Parts: sequence; C-alpha cells; structure tokens
Amino acid sequence: MIKLHFSTNLPELSRYFQIALFLLLFVMFSIMGDNAFGAGQISAPSKPAVTDLTIEQLMTIEVATVYSASKFEQKITQAPASVSIVTESDIKQYGYRTLADILRSMPGFYTSYDRTYTYAGIRGFSRPGDYNTRLLLLVDGHRINDSIYDQASIGTEFILDVALIDRVELVRGPGSSLYGNNAFFGVINVITKQPQSFNGFEVSGSAGSFDTYKERATYGKKYANGFEMLLSGTNSNSKGQSLYFKEFNTPANNNGRADSCDYEKYNNLFANMKYRDFSLQGAYTSREKGIPTAYLGTVFNENRTRATDERGYIDLKYNKALSENTHIKARGFYDYYNYSGNFLFDYPPLTMNKDVATGKWWGGEFQLTQNLFEKHKVVMGMEYQDYFLQKQRNYDENPYIQYFTETKSSYTWAAHIQDQFSILDNLILNAGIRYDYYKTFGGSTNPRAALIYTPFEKTTIKLLYGQAFRAPNAFESYYNDGNVTQKANPNLTPEKIETYELVLEQYVKNYRFSASGYYYRVKDLINLYTDPADSLLVFRNIGKTESKGAQLKIEGKWSNGIEAKASYSIQETIDKETGRSMTNSPKHLAKLNIFSPLISKKLSTGLELQYTSSRRTFNGDSTGGFVIANLTLLSREVIKDLEVSGTIYNLFNKKYGDPVSNEFRQNIIVQDGRTFRIKFTYRF
Amino acid sequence: MRNPSYFRFIIIFLSAITVFATSFTHGEELEFSEYELKAGFIYNIAKFVEWPDKKTADTKKIINLYVLGSDPFGRILDQITGKKVKGKILEVKHIRSPKDLRDCHMLFISSSEREKLPDILESLKDSNILTIGDTNGYGQQGVIINFYMEQKKVRFEVNTNIAKRAKLSISSQLLKLAKIIHSE
Repeated sequence: MIKLHFSTNLPELSRYFQIALFLLLFVMFSIMGDNAFGAGQISAPSKPAVTDLTIEQLMTIEVATVYSASKFEQKITQAPASVSIVTESDIKQYGYRTLADILRSMPGFYTSYDRTYTYAGIRGFSRPGDYNTRLLLLVDGHRINDSIYDQASIGTEFILDVALIDRVELVRGPGSSLYGNNAFFGVINVITKQPQSFNGFEVSGSAGSFDTYKERATYGKKYANGFEMLLSGTNSNSKGQSLYFKEFNTPANNNGRADSCDYEKYNNLFANMKYRDFSLQGAYTSREKGIPTAYLGTVFNENRTRATDERGYIDLKYNKALSENTHIKARGFYDYYNYSGNFLFDYPPLTMNKDVATGKWWGGEFQLTQNLFEKHKVVMGMEYQDYFLQKQRNYDENPYIQYFTETKSSYTWAAHIQDQFSILDNLILNAGIRYDYYKTFGGSTNPRAALIYTPFEKTTIKLLYGQAFRAPNAFESYYNDGNVTQKANPNLTPEKIETYELVLEQYVKNYRFSASGYYYRVKDLINLYTDPADSLLVFRNIGKTESKGAQLKIEGKWSNGIEAKASYSIQETIDKETGRSMTNSPKHLAKLNIFSPLISKKLSTGLELQYTSSRRTFNGDSTGGFVIANLTLLSREVIKDLEVSGTIYNLFNKKYGDPVSNEFRQNIIVQDGRTFRIKFTYRF
Repeated sequence: MRNPSYFRFIIIFLSAITVFATSFTHGEELEFSEYELKAGFIYNIAKFVEWPDKKTADTKKIINLYVLGSDPFGRILDQITGKKVKGKILEVKHIRSPKDLRDCHMLFISSSEREKLPDILESLKDSNILTIGDTNGYGQQGVIINFYMEQKKVRFEVNTNIAKRAKLSISSQLLKLAKIIHSE
C-alpha cells in the first residue's frame, strides 16, 4: 500500500490562504497608513480642541455618531425562554478552545465527537450522525447552518476563532416563530467582540498535546471619526494522535492502531467594519480533518481518508433608529459552503471514492421594531433566501464511476410578527408567529407565547409554549447512490416540535438561582428507513419522540473575586417507535465551575467539572458515565500587555467514549485522555 | 485545482472590504465624535471637583484618571493627557482590575465591566475616587458621574449620595447642569 503523507495535499490550500492573508495585510496597512498614523487621528485645525471648550459649550454639541447605550438589549430575566450566557472572560478563565467547549459548560448541554465532527446534545436529544440540524447557529445574527446538510458546526470547523467571541447565548426551546428553520431545540447566538475592544494589535500563539499549534493575529480599532474595523486571521495545525480501536485489532490492521490519521489543519479569516448605521462583516474558514475511524468501511490506518469543509459569508447590515420608538434593520448576505470527502475503499482494488457538496446562496431581511402606546413593542420582519446552487456528487476517482450527481436550487421566504405586551408593570405577554414558505414542500406556520411574571423585584416566573419546524435538507431529499443501497425521497415534509416549559429565576444577594421543567413532543422526525418493497434505504417522516426534564442552576459571585456556578439536569427522551430511551441521551448531567484569583488579579485559576451519565449506543450497549475535570491557570499583566494561560484538559485522565452512528464499525469512539494547552497573547 | 470558486469568494470578499474601508476612513472630520465630547466633559468635570486634602497631598502635582475595562476612547484621551487642571497635570492610565487605586482621582468604568460593577463599587467603598461611566443604569448602581445621550447630545447624571460618601465636593456650577440622582 502506498501511503501519501497528508501534507502533500496542503500546498494548494495554504497558497490560497497565504494570498488571502497577504491581501488582508495589504488592506490593513493601507488603511492604517492613511488613518492611524495620518491626519485622521488628529483633529483638523479648523476644529477647536475639546479642552478649549467650556462645559456649557460641550452641552450644546451634537455628536456625529452614537455608539453606546442606544441599543436595545433585553434583560435575561425578560427573555421569553431559558437562556444561558458564556462571556469572553469565561472563555479565558476556563481555557475554552472551541464553541463546543463553550456550549458544553452550559446547563443541560453535552457534545460528542466522532473524530471528524462535533455533535451537540440538548434536552437529551443528540442522534448520532445528525449534523446538529435541530439547532440554529447564528454569528451576529447571520445563519451559519449550511444549505446542504443544515450543519451547525461547533467544533474546530466553526467559522470563528473563539478569541473573537464577546459572548455566546444559548436560548433553549423552539425559536421558529422568530428565526424559522432549524430553531428546533434552541438557538445559539454568537456575538463577536467590538473592534474597539482590541484597540490595536493582538497576537496569540498556543501549543498543545499531539503537536497542536495555533497562531492568530488581530487588529481592531475605533477611529475618531467613528469608523470601526476588526481584522483577524488564524491558522492551526495538529498532527493528532495515534489511536487504538479494539474493533480493528488484527495484524493486517496494524493491531488496531491508526497512526497519523487524526491530523487536522484549519484557518479562519474574519473582518468586521462599522460606520454610522452600516456594518459589513465577512468570515471564512477552511478545515481539513483526517478520518482515523475507518468510517463507512473505509481502509483502516489510512491517512488519505479525510474531510474538508469550507464556509464563508459576507453580510451587510443597516441598523437605524428612525425615532425613539421606531427601529429598522435591513440585511443582505451572500453565503458559500463546500464539502469534500475522500474515502479510500478496498473493493478491491483500492479505490478513492469522493463525496462532494457545494452550496451557494444569498438573501435579504428587513425588520421593523415599533413601540406602541407605551405597552407594546412590536417586531415585524420579512426574509428571502435564494439557494441558487445545491450540488451533490459522489464518484470513484479511478476507474471513474459516478454514482450520484444532483444539482438543485431552491428558495424560501418568510414573514413574522412578535409583540411584547406589558399587561401590568410586572406581567409581560410575549407572543409571536412566523410563516415560512419553501419551494420544496410548501408552508409551515409556527407560533410561540410566553407569560413573564415578576411578582417581586428579584423573582421571575415564565410560562412558555412554542412550536418549531425543521425543513428536510437537500441531503435527505435528494441523496442516493444510484439506487444501489439508498434512494431519494423528494416528498419529505418538515419535522415538527411542540413544547411547554416553566422557568423560575430568583436573585438572592450575590446568588442567582434558576429552575426549569419542560415537556417536548416531536413528530414527523426524518429517519433512515428500509423500504420493504425494494429493500432500499430511504428517508421518511416516521420518527416520534417525547422528552421531559428539569434543570437547576445556581450561580454566585463574591467580592474577593471568586465566582462559581453549578447546574444539574435530569432528562428522559423516549423514542415512541421503540418505546425505549433514545441513543446518546444521558439521563443526568451535572456541571461545576469555580474561578478564583490566586495572587491579586495577576494569577487566577479556573476549575471545571462535568458529569455525564451513561448513554445508550445504537446496538444497545452503554458508554458508562464519566466525570471530566479541566484546570486552567491564567496570568495577566505580570509582564505588561502579556497574557499567559495553561490548561490541563481531562485532568484525571478519565477513559471515556462517545456513541456514534451505525456508519461506524465501532459503537463507541474513545475520546482524549489528559491533554494540555499553553497559550500566549500579547497586545500592542 | 480542486475548486476555484472559494478563491474567487475570498477575492470578492477582500475587494468589498477594501472598497468599504477606504471609502469610509478617508474624508474630513468636521464633527466631534461621542467620545471626543466625553473626553472634553471629563477634563471639564475635573475642574469642578474638590478631593479631600489627604488625597491631594499624596499626589501634589497630578490628577490621575484611570480607565477600567475595554477602553471606548481609543487615542482620544491623548487629547486631554498632560493638560493642566487647576495647576495640576492630568495623567491617564489604563488598568484591567480595580486594584491599587491609591493615587487614583477619577476612574472611568467601561461598559465592559457591567457585570462586575457591584464588586468594583464595593471595593471602592472607602476611597475618595470620582467614578465615571457611560452605561445605562451605572448611576443608580452607584457610579458618581454617568453620561447618557439625549437627542445626540451628551448629558450626565450625578449620584450625589455616593459623591458625599466619597468625601468629594462637587461645585454647584456643575450640579446645575446635571441630572441629580440618588441611590440607597
């Protein structure tokens, strides 16, 4: 067997990346040359210095731009859902590397990893092999789920470097009444940092276990004329580890060891610009991941089997307060997604099978927020998306055989309205409805209603009802292998969910306490099914599940700088077809995070403990429960403007694994033991 | 070449940025930005505040302005750095945590510290520091001077109880321009 080293395939990628970075730097310096070091920063001679003006004069001057305080930000207690937030400081304090690390720290959230993609679990629902299609992922309001698989990428394939995140909000429950498709079990809202929070350059480098290196350069600035700009580029490279899979323990398979197959390489580019009421944002990522698991029956211990994902977008927003009571928001965007999977099979002979998908789409959105009669706040919106290219293809390279090719296009439009009605001073009714039209299956209407009652200043009770849908994606509707084992089903209809939830939030001095209980009913789930007529696999709307659960959380902050939060979730999701609990659905989840300063604020430590109870695998085995501990040491300002952090992940080297889909010979894929990362960040 | 379209994507993306960026960073600045005005206010406010004698004795010739959290001013504060306020020189320093504030006269608390504000104010309880902010609700929570915007003009509220507790005397000339608020 001829083994190609993986890097032989990389020059092509890295060349583009280098050109892109070069252009980025060119733009950066041309702007700075004109502005930061030029006349832009210094007041024009015609304008008096602010120090020459009296306070009375200052009071009469109108500002050119208003940045702060004008934006409507909803208080967490008023949100019509159960919400968790992780901020930038948590990301530093606990050494989070990916969006998945961030989400896993939130109550009731768990993840699994099949060593290619990271899968989200929420409210006891995470079907192995499902690419997070039932969660909507937004970056500054821009939809990240792609147009082929609907994938919400949360691992290293996520579009942003986590260092650019200001905060992540997880809004649990159905959000289709506002956001439409995919907002099924929840919405993950990632909000990026303001350009001015960098105020200059920041460079960062990290090194970790298995030759994992990552470098980042960021420039962010708010100029005196109100123009804001953030530019950032990240590059990461990991050799990965040598993995042992007992299912392949034969001499022909290198005794079950997959060497140099777990490699990973990715880069991210991000740019954000704001001027007055406009903002322009662009993001791009490309990731190549070796598949070390002999997924789909590919050749074991073979590093040519790999997956490459690319995702990019440009988004232009206009945000304007027409008056104190009227806000408008308009957006236009262009999106790109490309996937390419290389799978080496031994038919025989050894043959490279390629699975390729490309999605391109553009769209626009208009939203109006209007306050009426002091008691109503109405949000109305319209949206249009044109998925002008949805292309999928599967073929063998040599000899060339094409099994499947399909080029489709599609469009959707939607209209929604929501009203926040303050019935009494302490009672709010939040109700909304949205209609989505799909070229493929027609329409879907989804309502939501929430009663938010604040009987005492520090107590909030929320009663929530909602419906949501998930549209069948291009993969489920059209994918087939030429009717050898799988056929297409273009007549799929949306999956539907109906939910009830009760939330209690209570503040006591420096503690915050919250409890919630919920009941979810899902129907028309799209399952892979074997048609008895022709024995072919086909997707059908046949699944039904029922979930109930409860969640408790307590958070405390003390004046000596110590912060702690703890949560516990109990959940049960029943598959109504089999009457059993679902696969990859832990009954109990518990989390504990403690952060403490050690030497003033110069040295601090963050400890994280996460318990996941046993999960059932597809063949009925169980993974067993486990506790993972992560420990971070963070040092700031020991040397001016330098931040150093070190994290040990899985401190006690706990052996554990995650359930995976039946496309693997393994039921359970073993996860990382003890690993470390050290990271340096310098500002100037 | 595997797929040239993503290269094209990057080119389009970067050209869009270039056009957007260059068209907006050029041009004359005839107006004051929000934070230029706020810097002017801070400089002027310093003239109307008297610190207790002990404090001024410690730092004879200097008035220290510290900025806590992510700095919204950028380089704008350079315009007031080194300027004289009643014979003393105004100095500006950035800090990331509210420790070691012995020689601090004025502390600007950025809106990035919103969640930590109660702790920050608790740690300043017995100090003689004029706290300044520009975030909705800071005034009620106990920040002494808090800027807000009204019809595109900068306005400020003064929390007089807290000023009194910090043993700061604020001139009535300043107070008559402010919205007076109380807490506790």
